[in-house]
Amino acid sequence: MVKKIKQADIGKLLERWAKDYRIFVPSRDGEITRFDRWDGKDTGFLSIYRNTVVPAKSVFFPVKEEMFSYKKDSTGYQLKVPGPSMSKKLLFGIRPCDASALAMLDVAFKEGYEDPYYLEKRRDTVLVGMTCLRPYDSCFCTSLGGGPGESKNVDIMMTQVGDEYILEGITQKGEELLAGVEYFTDASEADISRLRSVKEGALKQITRKVNVKDITQRIYDVIENKEFWETSAIKCVSCGVCTFFCPTCYCFDISDEKEKGTGIRKRAWDSCQFPVYTKMPAENPREEKWRRVRQKVAHKYAYFPTLYGGTISCTGCGRCIRLCPVSWDITAVINSVPEKVTTESK
Amino acid sequence: MTTSSISERKKFFSQNNVYLPHVCVIEKVIDETPTVRTFHFKFKDERLQKEFTFESGQFGEYTVFGVGEATFCISSSPTRPDHLEVALQRVGKVTNAFHRLGVGAEIGFRGPYGNSFPIDSLKGKNLVFVGGGIGLAPLRSLIWNVIDNRDKYGKIDIVYGARSPADLCFKYDLEAWSKDNTVNMVTTIDRPAEGWNGRVGLVPAVLEQVAPSPDNAVAIVCGPPIMIRFTFPALAKLGFTPEQMITTLEKRMKCGIGKCGRCNIGPLFVCKDGPVFRYDQIKNFMPQEY
Repeated sequence: MVKKIKQADIGKLLERWAKDYRIFVPSRDGEITRFDRWDGKDTGFLSIYRNTVVPAKSVFFPVKEEMFSYKKDSTGYQLKVPGPSMSKKLLFGIRPCDASALAMLDVAFKEGYEDPYYLEKRRDTVLVGMTCLRPYDSCFCTSLGGGPGESKNVDIMMTQVGDEYILEGITQKGEELLAGVEYFTDASEADISRLRSVKEGALKQITRKVNVKDITQRIYDVIENKEFWETSAIKCVSCGVCTFFCPTCYCFDISDEKEKGTGIRKRAWDSCQFPVYTKMPAENPREEKWRRVRQKVAHKYAYFPTLYGGTISCTGCGRCIRLCPVSWDITAVINSVPEKVTTESK
Repeated sequence: MTTSSISERKKFFSQNNVYLPHVCVIEKVIDETPTVRTFHFKFKDERLQKEFTFESGQFGEYTVFGVGEATFCISSSPTRPDHLEVALQRVGKVTNAFHRLGVGAEIGFRGPYGNSFPIDSLKGKNLVFVGGGIGLAPLRSLIWNVIDNRDKYGKIDIVYGARSPADLCFKYDLEAWSKDNTVNMVTTIDRPAEGWNGRVGLVPAVLEQVAPSPDNAVAIVCGPPIMIRFTFPALAKLGFTPEQMITTLEKRMKCGIGKCGRCNIGPLFVCKDGPVFRYDQIKNFMPQEY
């Protein structure tokens, strides 16, 4: 099902969907953009035409969240878990790279012991994707199976074409949401051909490439090569921005905050780029910077693929390149990993 | 290595939220060394206390309410299920607060996590335990486990050392094992000390002097990383193959269940693929990171 809607009617469409869903849209807070609750009126967020600074994972895996609180009464400590959030959510305008990252987090948080905080927030979520018409020059999603108009991880894919938006139903849930809304009209063949050329134009703008051929094996081949990693890490200042804003990073710290009469256990995003992350009383296995940079790169391009059926946990969103204060570039590192050593002579 | 079935455990013990600790009560506190104390504790909920099971080598996440959570192995043996024991050294925020707790105080516990010593494959084998300092804690769980089923195992050698006589942990166990004529107990300290008539020397060197035979034997090693690093070559010199060497690794952990990300050595997570590893599983991969 392919529908179109005038830009002026988007507000009414969201009002309709807001009856059943909690709507999240890109929003601006100074220089930072992130997904936030829609205020119910304003569609000014449509002018945020580039991917958000904070990845969409923050809706399901907040920067900081309460795990439980505890209080001591006459019978001892009592624990209390925060109530569930309203579970049905609709993310309006998620980019394909961030949607693909969510699919990876889904697996990591579900495998083995389930993570109840992430999975509870993620349950019953509808993803309405948005084609990136003006990708950044740091984007390299096309090398990793994605693209500015890629629809495989969303329920509805939306593309701005002139002053209209064309919405393609991808999943059954998406189709159902497109049906029976009077603000939509059916897209004509001319609309669909315009859609195709807009998407092709977007695709052509992604020029940065990363060579992922045999990359997992290639990384393992250099895993003990200190010189390689030291060279790769030379500029890094260990600020952690690359991991903090990475849509596929999911590591966290757990700590307790004491407030009067009660304690609150919280978790917060952490970073493998901080020496304290692995510090133990007597030693630190990743005290040296090159080991931490190796951890970051190898986790995405080797360890995660080893653990999860070959999936590289990098979507090519480019945030780690454009937000880095010293222009560290993961594509340069990956592209400098030597080609696979072939032992066969034929 | 054996892993307890996650699906079996997670429902009952995690209250459907694996991060929630169970409230436990401290029953006894033992001063092991000037900086190490052992705490005996029980689940507050009697049903949990009855149904809780674990295997030697597994660990838990311990909460000091108002302070935080930290990771320690269970140092008691599953063959003695009356209560659980944890031994910890005063080094950081949580352990210092833990040391201030006395009998009757409440702590939080969640677990058991991780794999365990491969107890079934140890049956019928001669066992060589090599420990240093507080590294005896996980070994002790297995040693009592084995002694409580003594006829299932062959010879037992224990080589244990600490910096000084005062730093020897579990002195009551060392004494019991010395008196046990089915156990060859060797205790050593790093440097000569007044009033010490026993052996003096670092654990790997003493191990070479004791020279247990590798025939039908498995060595189980735990101690400070530096001791572990020198013990493997010492065992190799005695003829032990990497497959005959087992260790349990320590890493900084937060979640204990493979999510939070910090305890990995490459694609291996110490919290869920370990903490128990055979030396051949880890020797060729990033040896500097464990």
